[in-house]
Formats: sequence, structure tokens, C-alpha cells
Amino acid sequence: MGIEMPSISSDVIRGYNDTMILFILSREPSYGYEISKMIRQLTDEKYIIKETTLYSAFTRMEKNGYIESYEALPGTSGTGKKRTYYRITDEGRRYYRAKCNEWILTKEVVEKFISNEEE
Amino acid sequence: METIKNYLESMFANLPNSAEVRKAKNELLQMMEDKYNELIEEGKNENEAVGTVISEFGNLEELAEELGLEEEVKIEKAELEVSPRRYLAFEEVKDYIRDRAKVSLGIALGVGLCILSVCGPIFTSSVGFIPDAIGVVLMFVSIAFAVVLFVGCGLIGDRWKYLEKELCSIDYATANYVNDEKSRYHSIYVIQLTIGILLCACCWIPLVLFDGFNGFGFAGIEHFLETVGILLLMVLCAIGVFLIVQCSITMNTFDFLLKLNDRETVSGNYVRSDYERYDNPISDGLMQVYWPTVRAIYLIWSFLTFAWYKTWIIWPVAVAVHAVLRSLMKKEEEA
Repeated sequence: MGIEMPSISSDVIRGYNDTMILFILSREPSYGYEISKMIRQLTDEKYIIKETTLYSAFTRMEKNGYIESYEALPGTSGTGKKRTYYRITDEGRRYYRAKCNEWILTKEVVEKFISNEEE
Repeated sequence: METIKNYLESMFANLPNSAEVRKAKNELLQMMEDKYNELIEEGKNENEAVGTVISEFGNLEELAEELGLEEEVKIEKAELEVSPRRYLAFEEVKDYIRDRAKVSLGIALGVGLCILSVCGPIFTSSVGFIPDAIGVVLMFVSIAFAVVLFVGCGLIGDRWKYLEKELCSIDYATANYVNDEKSRYHSIYVIQLTIGILLCACCWIPLVLFDGFNGFGFAGIEHFLETVGILLLMVLCAIGVFLIVQCSITMNTFDFLLKLNDRETVSGNYVRSDYERYDNPISDGLMQVYWPTVRAIYLIWSFLTFAWYKTWIIWPVAVAVHAVLRSLMKKEEEA
């Protein structure tokens, strides 16, 4: 450990949890733990999503019609118990695109004010 | 894994026992279980795995907002301010169980004594050489003893009046303890209740048996045996009632404690554990009318044919069919 790692501000990332989840679901349907594992792996363990954050994102997005849930057995050698799987809807894909565009713009704007030099 | 379950239960302990909350709890538990299992597979020891899972859990306030539980959490808080739910300490619950054990003995003894009290007059009046007055005195003495016992039990009960008057609850660990005690007691309960009922049901047997003796021709012996028969009837009946009352009160203690949590808190879902849930309302309805239907078929068939020696076959068949239906339609519950 030892090295001071910058940590992610949960306030900033909150707006993009949905984007991450939708990105993963746009490849294939998945369930809770698998999604959180993918987020961890794709970000090289820099971002670990909390269980409560994940679950609240699921319920909110399901209410908004971005994702749908169904029960299924996990394909890989799971414990044989059913999981709640989520799949993205067309509405969800549109929302995902909009969020991507929003982020590109946000990044462009914030970038202008980011300096690497220590003054 | 037990630690994680306990942690989750304690987090949810004060939330209402609604379908949404239960679903959230199950989903969260599933995610935590998956994560825990993978950490163990990666070679982490149990403590590390539990620590990681709990530290990455997050917090419930976030959920309350998203689940629309905010209102309920607020209401719960408001209710708490008006009449705070009293949490019973573990020791308090143990004390209660101990006191109730005394009460169960006292009341059962008292009832038994009341039944036995008539034995005095019956005995003295039939024996002849003892004055009847002594029998009557004996009767009043045993009734007096019974009254003392009832009053004593009432006094013990008064100490716990607040359990019924105030809104009380027990925490998850205590509920677990009570539930364990209850299941441990269950076999004793069944045996004791069965013996008690058998004694009450069979208490007339000595009387009939003794009635069969003609006393070998001696009127005195015949009369004496009849008295012994009646006395035995009273004694057996008293013992039977004692057993029934004692075990019922003890069982009632556990049920009462477990029901304290029932209304609003999730950790109280023990009392509902015997309520089965099925996949859809149709199967749910089917299972509800199952036994009444079987009973109706049995009675109709039996009374139409009067072939009682054949019709009983319905029951074993019905049990088998019920088991099959249940396993087919039962909702998959968390292990």
C-alpha cells in the first residue's frame, strides 16, 4: 500500500453508475455480483461499487424502464441458486447514448481547467 | 457467512417488514454471498472475506431513498419518538423465560390440586371409619394451596405486564436464541402433551376394570374397589391436566417472545416461517383448499359407501400427493 492513491469522490461518480451498469448490460444480461465484479475489473480495481449503490441503481433504472429483470440460473458453475438477471431495454440504450454524450461534453469542459503542474 | 447474515439482519432490523424490503434484503444477501464465496475461493480466510464484504456493503440510507422507504423510515422515526420501541436485553429475555417456567409449574400444580381436592371427601365418605369432616377439611386445604399458587403466579406475571402494554422487540441474536430454545423444547412438548392427553382420555379405564370385579362376593371389597377406581380416575386426570397445562404455558412463552417482533421488524419473521409461499396465486389457492377438499371427499365417500375400512386409504395417498405438489410449486426460498 504505502502510496497515496487518489480516491474517487462518490458525489462525482454517482451520476455515472448507471452508465457503467448499462455499458455492461449492453453486452449481455447479467446479475448483481457479476456486474460489480466487472466494474471492478474494467477499472483495474480503482472503483469498487457498493452493494447498496448497485441495488438502488437497479431498482431506479427498472422503474424508469431502462432495464428489465428476470430470474435465471447463472450459466457458470454457480451454486445452483437462481439470480435476478437484468437486461437492457431500447429505452435503456437511448439513455446510455445520451449519458455518453453528456460525459464527453462534461469531460471537455472540465478538462480545460485541469492542470498537471504544481504551482 | 453467518456473520454477514447477522450484519444484514441487524441493518434491516428496524425497517418495516414489507415485500420491497424483503426483496432488497434477499438481493443484497445474494450479492454479498457471491462476493464472499469468490473471496474464499481466491484463498482469503473467513475473517478477511467477511471484512471485505461488510466494508463494501455501503449504507442503507442510500437504499431508503431509492426504494421509496424514506416515508416509512420517517414514520418509523416519528413513532419511535411518540412511543419508543423498547428493546429487551438478552438477560431480560432469559429472566422472563425462567419466570414463566415457574409460572407454568405453579399454575399446572394449582389446577391439578383443584382436581385432586375432591378426592378427600370421596375417600372419607367411602371408608367410613374416618370422619367426613376431615375429608372436607382436606379439600379446602388443597384448594387453599391452589389459590396461593395462583396468586403467587399472578404476582410474578405482574412484573412482566409491560411486555404486553408497551411496544417491545428483541434483537436478531435474541430472537435466534429463543427460536433455538423453542425447537429444542418442541420434542418434549409433543411427548408431554401426548402423555397428558392419553392420561385424560384413559382415566376412566381403572374404574371400568374395577367395576368388573364383583369383589369375590364381599360387598365391602367391591365398594372399596369402586372408590379406588374413582380416586385413580381423579389422580390420572389431575396428572394429565398438569402435563398439558405445564407444557402449553411453556410453549406459549416462546411464541409470545417471537411474536414481539412480528408486526414491523424484519428480524421477527420466525413466526411466519411455517407459512408457505407458492409460485403464483393459483397454486397458492390450490394448496389452501387442498386439505378441506380431501376431508370432504373422505367424508362423502365414507358416508355414501360406509366402507370405512377402505376409505382411510385416502389419507396416505393425499399426503403423498401433497408432498409432490408442494415440491413442484413451492417458491424457491433462500437457503
